[in-house]
Amino acid sequence: MAFISSGYNPDKPMEDRITDIGPRNYEEFYPPVVKANKGKWLYHEILEPGVLVHVAESGDECYTVRAGGARLMSVTHIREICEIADKHCGGYLRFTTRNNIEFMVDDKSKLEPLKKDLESRKFDGGSLKFPVGGTGAGVTNIVHTQGWIHCHTPATDASGPVKATMDVLFDDFQNMRLPAHLRVSLACCLNMCGAVHCSDIAILGYHRKPPMLDHEYLDKMCEIPLAVAACPTAAIRPTKVELPDGKKVNSVAVKNERCMFCGNCYTMCPAMPLADKEGDGIVLMVGGKVSNRISAPKFSKVVVAFIPNEPPRWPTTTDTIQKIVEAYSKGANKYERLGEWAERISWERFFEVCDLEFTHHLIDDFRDPAYYTWRQTSQFKF
Amino acid sequence: MKHETPMLDQLETGPWPSFVSDIKQEAANRAKNEKNVDYQIPVDVCDDLLGVLELSFKHGRTHWKHGGIVGVFGYGGGVIGRYCDQPEEFSGVAHFHTMRVAQPAGKFYSTDYLKKICDLWDFRGSGITNMHGSTGDIIFLGTTTKQLEEIFYELTHNLNQDLGGSGSNLRTPADCIGKARCEYACFDTQHMCHTLTHEYQDELHRPAFPYKFKFKFDGCPNCCVASIARADMSFIGTWKDDIRIDQEAVQAYVGGELKPNGNAHAGRDWGAFDINKEVIDLCPTKCMWMDGKELKIDNKECTRCMHCINVMPRALRIGKETGCSILVGAKAPILDGAQMGTMLVPFIKAEEPYDEIKEVIESIWDYWMEEGKNRERLGELMKRQGFQKLLEMTGLKPDPRMVQEPRHNPYIFWKEEEVEGGFERDINEFRKYHQR
Amino acid sequence: MEYEEAKQKVIDELTKKQKSKSKFYFNDLSKILEMKPREAKKIVNKLVTDGVLEYWSSGSTSMYGLKGTGKQAGAEHEG
Repeated sequence: MAFISSGYNPDKPMEDRITDIGPRNYEEFYPPVVKANKGKWLYHEILEPGVLVHVAESGDECYTVRAGGARLMSVTHIREICEIADKHCGGYLRFTTRNNIEFMVDDKSKLEPLKKDLESRKFDGGSLKFPVGGTGAGVTNIVHTQGWIHCHTPATDASGPVKATMDVLFDDFQNMRLPAHLRVSLACCLNMCGAVHCSDIAILGYHRKPPMLDHEYLDKMCEIPLAVAACPTAAIRPTKVELPDGKKVNSVAVKNERCMFCGNCYTMCPAMPLADKEGDGIVLMVGGKVSNRISAPKFSKVVVAFIPNEPPRWPTTTDTIQKIVEAYSKGANKYERLGEWAERISWERFFEVCDLEFTHHLIDDFRDPAYYTWRQTSQFKF
Repeated sequence: MKHETPMLDQLETGPWPSFVSDIKQEAANRAKNEKNVDYQIPVDVCDDLLGVLELSFKHGRTHWKHGGIVGVFGYGGGVIGRYCDQPEEFSGVAHFHTMRVAQPAGKFYSTDYLKKICDLWDFRGSGITNMHGSTGDIIFLGTTTKQLEEIFYELTHNLNQDLGGSGSNLRTPADCIGKARCEYACFDTQHMCHTLTHEYQDELHRPAFPYKFKFKFDGCPNCCVASIARADMSFIGTWKDDIRIDQEAVQAYVGGELKPNGNAHAGRDWGAFDINKEVIDLCPTKCMWMDGKELKIDNKECTRCMHCINVMPRALRIGKETGCSILVGAKAPILDGAQMGTMLVPFIKAEEPYDEIKEVIESIWDYWMEEGKNRERLGELMKRQGFQKLLEMTGLKPDPRMVQEPRHNPYIFWKEEEVEGGFERDINEFRKYHQR
Repeated sequence: MEYEEAKQKVIDELTKKQKSKSKFYFNDLSKILEMKPREAKKIVNKLVTDGVLEYWSSGSTSMYGLKGTGKQAGAEHEG
């Protein structure tokens, strides 16, 4: 492994430097049928799950085959995507906001060969490489964060629970039997890089133990004022600690009852780890949406306060999700999103039909907005 | 394989694409090295990535540490430092930094470009990516410190491609598919996203904000890119004039020749289409009715929720006088709770050169940069100082469209200049008429 | 303020605080420079390209410090 220079000169970093050029221009990447008809599309239709046609004023048609995929993907896999796009789609493709891959062709005759090709490809382990689906009133791909594959503060894995959940919901990825579309998202800690807080079903990693304090090393590894300032609830203060050998060192103290388990201190100070096998797990939140369709966008609400991490397949989490999806599918009206359905039937009924226990942890007690989530009417259901 | 991975192996079965199988194939390809690549980071990086992930599955805890390495020289973002906490056992991933590569608007690609990206990342990194990260960037997952500058040099010199944002920067803006392939788009999301991304490159690379700042562009109120929930400034397409109606097509829906909602409900027999039940009764403003065989819309009362258009896309089209609304202050829950974007500009033209829009953006940045506390998102500043302050700083006129309802309390903090005669009064004059 | 004067001011102030911490928010720097954020940014950018200051990031937040200082610097610059 000999080092090969790109041309960069570390002694003169500014020499020949190119900066601030931004992303490539999207126009280079439009398939011809898109370029020719941009802004002139008339309507679209879902021909079958995962297959769309868009029709333009000119009469041109753009057929799209949507395939699911793990957002965590290798260059080998991307090259295979390219090979498919070269073979069928004139060398163009796109990704959706929800990590699906879209292959577009400009003629119906090209559709079947493309679909067959996609469906025929499997990984050595047996899973599909390019399952077709993710359209209409069904479940589409899960947007998610890094989890144990790359993050330093996750309370659960991301790719693992996502794979397990999509296996369980797979029929609904390839079917459109639900009352409306159902968006599932996962964030591996409460900082929510993935902004899952407006999803029909949100899977959220949550720590339940405050950080441990590595007193002997804390002052050597961290700058105490930064660790103190990192805490959003002001639970950390500087202090002096006597080590077992009698030596006094500078360190910090944590007011445990104020800790919200965010891990921000650990980011600033590696001597304050908080991950824990028993402490960490999953919170399930439901009923959020971002669309303005019919009702205003809504936040997801916590309906299961804690489920332990159960690698490799998180069965309790996926069983609970399946139960919620089935109850929704059975009970909701056509076009009704999960949150709209829960509000219509009432949350007391929601817990009943989903067979979920309502516990004290589900009553909001965090700051001012909590008051407005309590019931302030005489109306309720028995 | 270098490490036994009995738990991960259980994620290879089942229909959904297995990331474990994919990383294994990458590990095998690196070991074989058929293209004779002179790998610049350890050949067994993917084996070690699976190994350390298996260990996390066993321990129920992550094995990654954060590092403050932020980028390449002169940039304050685009790279996230990562180190493995078991570097002896998994030396291939001991140093495993992330790079964010700014994605093209709309996430369209040519295979030619993607292959070049793959070649670079194969050669100088782990070969593992995210397509794409939550904010929208292409994510390169795992390389060593020494390779960061080399990758940046090759990206900028050979691929005409820059890094994305992280930290207290403008984050790489993202958009929906928009006019490229959607009949609902009220403005050209790709053009606006691309133009503003280029305009604000300095803000994107050199952090001078109190915290992160996100732009997202949704072409219509369906909000496919979720701007209203997660962007500090959310641009949502809308229109001012009338929904265009094709009465014949309405009848085709009523008669069952056309399938409702673009056939999105084909997986279940919901019975014959009922325009009253499925469209008119669900309209949130009740501004539609059937007049014999004609569908009527009282457009003045319409709030453009998109439901009727979504259900009957061949009969109903968005209006022609289009633009966007600007909502500000959305964020995820930490710390004080999640916030949805708040309407600041109900309607603005979204056309080149976007001067009016840039004025709004820059007045907001000036305000937030001066008044925002460290790590305070725009939405939190708005909450702390009030919406009136934001109006004052942006010079916008109050409009009932900005609120859900008027205030619940009369505790108005009148300013002296707003009250006739001011606050200074003569107590002696007062006492002439009012005894002590 | 001239660039050299501003540079010295930043170095002096950050060195003074070095005992307790090595990383600072952008706001701290604009306060030291007694400038509006946009003006301060021009100076701060140049201090970075001149190798006086360097960035540090938590991933979500960015901070600034004198180059090579701080308790994690050794580990992160990888010797």
